[in-house]
Amino acid sequence: MVKGIDRVREYLEEITEAIPSTILIVGRGLEIVYANPHYYGVAGKKPKGVIGKNIWKVLPSGTIKRMDLNKKIRDVIETGRPFEGGHAPGDRLGTFYFYKVMPLMDEYGDVTRAMILVEDVTELTRLEEELKESYAKLDEAYKELREADRIKSDFISTASHGLRTPLTVISSYLELMDKGKIRGQEKRKGMTETLILQTNHMIGLVNDMLDISRMESKKFMVEKKEIDVQEIVNEVLEKVRNLADLKQHIVLLEIPDGLPKIVGDKKRIGDVLINLLTNAIRYTPEKGKITINAIDERKGLHFTVKDTGFGIPKREQKKVFEKFFVGSSAKKELGRMGLGLSIAKGIVEAHGGRIWVESKVGKGSTFHFTVPKEKRRKK
Amino acid sequence: MKNVLVVDDDENIQKMFKDILEVYKYRVIQANSGKEALKKYMEAKPDIVIMDILMPDVDGMRTTKKILKKDKNAKIIVVTAVGKSGLEKDCIKAGAKAFLMKPFKIDDLLNAIQKVSGGE
Repeated sequence: MVKGIDRVREYLEEITEAIPSTILIVGRGLEIVYANPHYYGVAGKKPKGVIGKNIWKVLPSGTIKRMDLNKKIRDVIETGRPFEGGHAPGDRLGTFYFYKVMPLMDEYGDVTRAMILVEDVTELTRLEEELKESYAKLDEAYKELREADRIKSDFISTASHGLRTPLTVISSYLELMDKGKIRGQEKRKGMTETLILQTNHMIGLVNDMLDISRMESKKFMVEKKEIDVQEIVNEVLEKVRNLADLKQHIVLLEIPDGLPKIVGDKKRIGDVLINLLTNAIRYTPEKGKITINAIDERKGLHFTVKDTGFGIPKREQKKVFEKFFVGSSAKKELGRMGLGLSIAKGIVEAHGGRIWVESKVGKGSTFHFTVPKEKRRKK
Repeated sequence: MKNVLVVDDDENIQKMFKDILEVYKYRVIQANSGKEALKKYMEAKPDIVIMDILMPDVDGMRTTKKILKKDKNAKIIVVTAVGKSGLEKDCIKAGAKAFLMKPFKIDDLLNAIQKVSGGE
């Protein structure tokens, strides 16, 4: 029997010695009466400097204050109720401790001592922080996904609306023709022209959508060939000439001779210029002035398309390059899907250039973009 | 000959309605905004109104309500490319007598016009 109790004692001692947390037993006067080997290990102290000493003399005062340890020990001894646990940063930066204060009874059943259990939870706290961060990231990713989903649904509904309009015209005229309701060569010719125009409009819309979708999935590719600036500007001008004449605009070219060639995709850079010019023509009242300018800069060629049009309000200037954004002056016209400038931006950026706008309501807008130029040998 | 007021801000759609309706012997009055629609309705008192929904100044829904406020017997047919669910119900609730989606079959348009003006 005695032997058995001894065995249990032996185990208990072994267990207490092996616990990887600090255990201190403190008396009513805050004197330390016991410290386990783990404490000696981490504190680098010997029993001589610990046992019988006041906690203020042994433990770092910062720790005592942060844990409010002296008060908690007294409370626990007085009330006999344990302090169930709290967290406090340790003395070393970045460390965290979890601690408990428990009442200990003497052989008469009185609480005269308290046991302090301190566990290093630095690693756990770090993991918890990481988990919180991961949650935040997950939450952000979720929000981004929701936003992407919203953009996709908007895309589908805008695209469907954009395609329905020309499709309505096409379908109705074909039906009228099919019913044999169109009499006269003249009428038939007019309708055929409308059919071609609306079909081309639809082709344009479908191509724009494809471009946007390629740009979004980063599959948008551009050629990199040397292009003569005069040549590309003249070709583009040919294409918008009729539209500009219709509104009696003056189109001025300010392209100096001897500019270096630009390096890029001729068709795509042409698309950017056409887009900027058609916008300028469209959003400038009749008899306006549109100026195309190209400057040789260190990094590349800097193009500007300047108009004397309605201008873009400040709050809309940033948004004009977003897809599906249709500005307040553009809303008056239909068939606008709000893709033109966002495609232009995608093209310029695919070349490594930049696109931006300066504008004043009532004065006009200037669209700028840059594209890389040929590398000339040093003279 | 019945008068039809076509309210649509797209000139291609305007022209198309005119081409269709004239073939079937309707007289067409055109308005390219909600504001103009209200004015022309009061001036011409058309037998039928064909109303677009998405328009820049006053949209088709509000224009429908405004016209009905002036004339509770107005016969309005909404013809829209907006595919939002529940829109048809909302239009009927606002007082429209029929609802068609663009693109539509010409027969469906003619049927709607006939059905709506049938009461006379």
